[in-house]
Amino acid sequence: MTTRTASSASSAVPARDRAGRPPRTLVAGLVLLALIVLAVALIPILSPYDPIAEDIAAMLQPPSPVHPFGTDQLGRDILTRVAAAGRIDLALMVGVEAAPFVIGTAAGLVAGFYGGWPDRVITLLSDALIAFPFYLLVAVVAFVTGTGMKGIFLTFLIMGWIIFARTVKGATASLASAEWVESARVMGFSDWSILTRQMLPNVLSQAVAVLVSDMVALLVAIVTLGYLGLGIAPPTPDWGTMIADGQSFLATRWWVSTLPGCAVVLVGIALALIGDGLNDARRDA
Amino acid sequence: MTTKNLKKGLRGALAAGIAAVLALSLAACSQTGGQTTSATGESGANGQSQTTFTYARSAAVTSFNLWTEITSNNAFAIDKVFEPLVSFDKDGKIIDWLAKSHKISDDGLTYTFTLRDGLKFSDGTDVTAADAVFSIKQHQAEKDAALPLTADIASVDAPDDKTVEIKLNSAYTPLLAELANFSNGIVPKDFGGKSESAFFKNPVGTGPFVVSKWDKSGDLTFAKNKNYWQQGKPGIDKLVYKVVEDGTQAVNQLKTGEVDGIESPALENIDELADGADTKIETTGSWVTDELFFNTADEHFSDVHVRRALAYALNRDDVTKAVTFGHAVTANTVLPKAIRYSTQDSIKPLNNDQAKAKSELEQSKYPQGFSAKILVPSGNNAYQQTAQLLQSAAAKIGVKLDIDSVDMATFRSRFKAFDYQIMINSAQADYPDADSIIDFQADPDGFSKSYWTSYSNDEVTKELKQAQVTPDGDERAALYEKIQQTLADEVPYIPLYSSDIVKAVRKNVNGLEVLPNDSVRFQDVTLG
Amino acid sequence: MTSMTKPRYAALARWLGGVVVHAALVLALVTVGVFLIVRLVPGDPAQMVLGLKASPAQIADMRHRLGIDQPIGRQFTSFVTTLLTTGDTGESIAYHVSSRALVLDRLPVSLWLVGCSAALVVAISLPLAMTAALHRGSWIDQLVRIVPTVTLGMPEFWVGLVLVLVLAVTLRIFPVGGTQPGIDGMLYSMALPSLTIALAQTPFIVRSLRTRILEVLGADFVTTLRAAGLSRRAIRRHVMRNALLPALQLYGMKVSFLIGGTLVVEQVFGLRGVGTLLFAAITARDFPLIQAVAMYCAIGVVLVSTLVRVAGGLIDYRVREGRGGEE
Repeated sequence: MTTRTASSASSAVPARDRAGRPPRTLVAGLVLLALIVLAVALIPILSPYDPIAEDIAAMLQPPSPVHPFGTDQLGRDILTRVAAAGRIDLALMVGVEAAPFVIGTAAGLVAGFYGGWPDRVITLLSDALIAFPFYLLVAVVAFVTGTGMKGIFLTFLIMGWIIFARTVKGATASLASAEWVESARVMGFSDWSILTRQMLPNVLSQAVAVLVSDMVALLVAIVTLGYLGLGIAPPTPDWGTMIADGQSFLATRWWVSTLPGCAVVLVGIALALIGDGLNDARRDA
Repeated sequence: MTTKNLKKGLRGALAAGIAAVLALSLAACSQTGGQTTSATGESGANGQSQTTFTYARSAAVTSFNLWTEITSNNAFAIDKVFEPLVSFDKDGKIIDWLAKSHKISDDGLTYTFTLRDGLKFSDGTDVTAADAVFSIKQHQAEKDAALPLTADIASVDAPDDKTVEIKLNSAYTPLLAELANFSNGIVPKDFGGKSESAFFKNPVGTGPFVVSKWDKSGDLTFAKNKNYWQQGKPGIDKLVYKVVEDGTQAVNQLKTGEVDGIESPALENIDELADGADTKIETTGSWVTDELFFNTADEHFSDVHVRRALAYALNRDDVTKAVTFGHAVTANTVLPKAIRYSTQDSIKPLNNDQAKAKSELEQSKYPQGFSAKILVPSGNNAYQQTAQLLQSAAAKIGVKLDIDSVDMATFRSRFKAFDYQIMINSAQADYPDADSIIDFQADPDGFSKSYWTSYSNDEVTKELKQAQVTPDGDERAALYEKIQQTLADEVPYIPLYSSDIVKAVRKNVNGLEVLPNDSVRFQDVTLG
Repeated sequence: MTSMTKPRYAALARWLGGVVVHAALVLALVTVGVFLIVRLVPGDPAQMVLGLKASPAQIADMRHRLGIDQPIGRQFTSFVTTLLTTGDTGESIAYHVSSRALVLDRLPVSLWLVGCSAALVVAISLPLAMTAALHRGSWIDQLVRIVPTVTLGMPEFWVGLVLVLVLAVTLRIFPVGGTQPGIDGMLYSMALPSLTIALAQTPFIVRSLRTRILEVLGADFVTTLRAAGLSRRAIRRHVMRNALLPALQLYGMKVSFLIGGTLVVEQVFGLRGVGTLLFAAITARDFPLIQAVAMYCAIGVVLVSTLVRVAGGLIDYRVREGRGGEE
């Protein structure tokens, strides 16, 4: 009854947005993201402060015209640090997601297209990883690599592919049963060319939509690792460490952790809007 | 009253609201629900006159074995149940405790203690000198002793019921201070007829409290010892050690009165609690110094000029200010001021001086600078901040330092295997004698190899051995003064700061005595 | 493409058997994985138990008593033997009591937390998603989609801290942390912690639920129902039934992630559940305890996902054939 092949779902939903015009949410998200990237790129250049140079005499000052976001425990300008951290965190966010995205999409294509034992192996592996306590994994990786980007990269390489594999597998499986795949085979197309030329373009938009919303989750996860003392090591400015370092001042010096927190929230909103927009665009295409 | 009612009403309405929503999930877990909570601060159901003091601590009490335990979660529970012959006060001065007096012979070989009258264990039996002799001998025999008695003891005897006599083969001045440690508390002879393991599950001592309810991974409830030798004390009926792992959570529970005190409030929260509407702080000087340690076996840090260069480069006052929020003194020497013979106020330390830092580096094997790593335990905010300050200071003289942040267990394994170049760590005296710190930090022959720095200076070694046998007085003071200056000049470690011991309590708490070893005495506590 | 010709019950039994075997394999993988991984990590439980001033001889002695000086193969056989004979993973190194007992003691708090937050998520998401979908494109829809994204970028510990500060410390409406006795006390104590978790999860769930509902609304059968002149309410019921299953599956995955993953919220609210227990065990390198927590959490995850799969499979045979739409 509720068969939900990609084709029927996309054609059945009435397209309210005018054809040819991208959804408003997508535009809003992209604009917001562009503004964030611009701020992150420009502020460290324009700022008179060095994000890692301490000035103990100026420690823990509240926001003022001199320091719009105040200063932290070591007297560093928080605005400059938020922007400098943004460069690292945004790059990290993209960099960390790249490998899991490729691996997960490939695994999902194979599992969904062939079914059988490749599917079983991939399902077993992903189920076992999900059943493995996440924080144990995070901690173990951090203990082996030392806290820092290496550990974050490795952790999300191990865990991150699963969500893409599952999404792509579902989408591929529903495509693979379609008659045109059979006919493509009959016509002598190789599996490789069916997978890459026919399947991939069809499932990619779904995978990208997942990618965008997963990035927010990743960013929040990195921030949380900072809270647990497993995040990016100082002196590299990082939103997670900044929020975590300031959390014990929350009642007395709110700005130390709240203002870096706002940066994460803004990125979250931007990416959520983009993800939403992409989904709409996909459905309405 | 009205706010209470409002709160109750809200609570009821809320519970009802959520209950409706949760019906499904509740069915799944309700059969396991009820048993999980144990008594907390409010549940003084068995009588209005009961007063309970709830103390928030970050870790559970796991053992009462006074000889094998050392970590503070256990030590500061053990010292509520067992008491030694001598103890120390707020300033670290040694005072008679279960002994009403003590005498040390002029040759330093015989220690004689006379017990107080009317001493009883918590089960009502009398305390005799035989109990003390048993306790000390048992401690000596303990293979796993965490703080073993290091004196060369010839005999421990009880000439009569009230007298304990310890004879030494060679003089050892720190003995009296060592005996003041919680690990030399007095247990009943032959554990009162029980097996050792059974005894420590249900310990009997002379202390102000007895164990009443104990969850080894959670809260511990003490009841007052009705046979306590200090008449009319303790002033509270129950003492609850409540495990609150998160520091911010503990602060909030103190503010709302869910706990009456916090054992280790974070330094950054202290001002807030000191000025709080319902909270205040109690404080004293500590026996702890936080230090930067150099691995002197490392090619770079074997060079004394490199170490001196970094000492001159670092502004210790900045470190102190940034990470302790004014609740510490910048340390000039390894001996905290609260320990006798500390030269904190008279020593000549290597204070921040950029020119001298540069010239020291020029005299070293690495005039052009070099790269190295600072080993820091992750999750320790103060050390993370300190490492960053050191990093900036070193960068200014051309030394590039990277921060290697690892978890506590890895940290410990690494430095104990001498697998580090610079680390930040703390050094604590276990008992109020200079030797407790100097021996551990400067004796290359001990297993700690000068606190894992491999630092060795024959002159210092000789002097510290000499100080162990020199009776207290000017001669001993001179020896420690010389040692401290040598250590400051040769810099196997840079003393950074010595934080105050701070406890945060509710405003109505009176009589809490804070001790320099980070413990507290509860027997005088009353709730106003 | 398997067994449509065979009797239905035989096919069902075979499929159920497959699910069980799969669950067992997952558990075995996790158990062995945890065993190996915690022993390959640097850090020594003996060092952590004995403290800073223990001599090398004392440490060696402790390592021997804990059995961690033996080759890893021998350790593994003795671990498996203990597990199979006693059902326990051994005495906790840090707490000197049975690891299983410790886990079972802490489990209820975590289950309450997971249960309450799951219920709260559903209670918040369902009406929101329904309203948004039925008013697609309107300002209500935009609002429902955008407002929750604000909490998307907020880390749980921060949300938790702010909730405590405002609702517990300042307004004194809720307890700061810990748990209180009785079912109402428990609900009262769980209010803020589960709200914290719910705020983090609601955005995902609302949005995917809304998407599902839209897809179902657009499906052929709904068009047919509409054409047949069914009432709005009846249609709504049909839509709900068809949209709920995929949403349930999606949420099943989230819930299983929550098991053992409530560490941060437990820590912020001073709840003593399995999350904080696991973290303490990791910090102390308490091997038997890590093993026990990991195993029980894995059992929980496998149980939840198997139940979701079975429920889904029984309702919709497509899932049985591996054509399930997971997203």
